[in-house]
Amino acid sequence: MNSLTDNSLMLQVKAGQVDKMGLLFERYHRPLLAFFYHATSHATGSEDLVQTVFYRMLKYRHTFSGEGEFRTWMYHLARNVLADAAKKEKPAKYHQDVADWAEKIGGGPTADASLQKNQEVDLLHRALGQLSADAREVLVLSRFQELKYEQIATLLNTTAGAVKVRAHRALGQLKDIYMKMENGSKVH
Amino acid sequence: MEAKFINCEQVREGLMDWLANEMPADEAQAVEAHLAQCPDCRREQAAVWQLWQAMGNLPVPEPSEQMRPRFYSMLAEFQAAEQRKQQWSVAALVQKLRDWWQPAYAMRLAYGLALLVVGLAAGYGLKARVDAPGAATQQPLAAVPAPAENAQQAQLLALLANPSAVQRLRAVSYAEEVAPTNERVVGALLSTLYQDPNVNVRLATLEVLAGLADDPTVRQGLVRALAQQDSPLVQSAMADVMVQLQERRSVRGLRKLLRQDNLNEQVKTKIEQSIQSLSHDRSAPADASTPSTYHENNDHTDSALDTSVAA
Ligand SMILES: [Zn+2]
Repeated sequence: MNSLTDNSLMLQVKAGQVDKMGLLFERYHRPLLAFFYHATSHATGSEDLVQTVFYRMLKYRHTFSGEGEFRTWMYHLARNVLADAAKKEKPAKYHQDVADWAEKIGGGPTADASLQKNQEVDLLHRALGQLSADAREVLVLSRFQELKYEQIATLLNTTAGAVKVRAHRALGQLKDIYMKMENGSKVH
Repeated sequence: MEAKFINCEQVREGLMDWLANEMPADEAQAVEAHLAQCPDCRREQAAVWQLWQAMGNLPVPEPSEQMRPRFYSMLAEFQAAEQRKQQWSVAALVQKLRDWWQPAYAMRLAYGLALLVVGLAAGYGLKARVDAPGAATQQPLAAVPAPAENAQQAQLLALLANPSAVQRLRAVSYAEEVAPTNERVVGALLSTLYQDPNVNVRLATLEVLAGLADDPTVRQGLVRALAQQDSPLVQSAMADVMVQLQERRSVRGLRKLLRQDNLNEQVKTKIEQSIQSLSHDRSAPADASTPSTYHENNDHTDSALDTSVAA
């Protein structure tokens, strides 16, 4: 057995070698950060949420059976963390630092082309923020976390076909929102 | 193979697979073929593709400098808290070990060992004749400097020497998995049984060693360990094991235990019963093959032990 696979590491954590979580942190703190950032547009808050996921993985390590994939289990916990955070925080607080973020990457002596690009990025990010949580999630999971539809289906307790339909619809909605915003900013 | 032909509807259905690169090669080819001749689908696909690419290019903030240290200090705290918890649960473990030694366990052990003992008695006689008196088997076991055979055993040895009782308990349960046929590991387990300050560790070790009693050095080590035990729990557990193993050489050690001043009443009764049981079977056929030289060697060992106990 390869003792460095995700599953094997997590089983070692479960068996009491808690320090093995370090390697899993090194592997997944960035993808998780992206997951929360795309869902909340809140950079610093996302780090807290990543920390919470790792804490819960330690605390609930006995629930990892090793039968399913580690990543699926991890995102299952990440979704719960996200749902809990959304309950606590006011929705308005999300996406509030998009502007800060856009400013940060747009600030300084930037060429017009990249400024233009940053505006597109900002627009797309805001469009993503306007999707319903369910629609956004399925896109985030497939596009940013690069989970296969089959894996997302396991995570969401549905079929791969249903996931594809949902993702397709979400993508269409995103396109519409984006176009509307783009037109709005042009008129403006 | 014929090229596949698909319509606009099928192109739309396969869109997500196509985007995520989860589409089989022949289907992807069919999609390309359709796009080449259908401007509507081409326009639709291009727009979605552009959006999909733009999403992929969305920036993600770099983890801050505090992120990693924060995680590792959380991990260290968690680890420390777990260790405290495990120490507290040692009391629960004692109860668990007590349960092991209840009749159910004795039955289990007896069942497994009954056949073994018959075979051993014969094997013993053979070995004792081959060995000269005072041969290597009489040396203190831990002094045999055989190397560990593999990494698992090396890890086991290191864990057995760990100052934390919890770690040593872990080592002992680990020993069951590793199947410590290596002399050094057996020696380390026996020396744990002789001198580990923690009763739980000794009990757990006894259980593992009892399972290895088909090894003559283990048996002999168990007999030797008998007189050194001062904990009622271990004493009574050892008496049980001796009866289950039908280890008659233990009678001497058991008698010596009876002479201990502060012997627990229950343990006393148990040991008396054990001696009776072991003596009663003295005329059993298996005993006939046990040569007297073996007993002499054993007596010598026991008296050597006497002095060390008295000292
Ligand atoms: Zn078409």
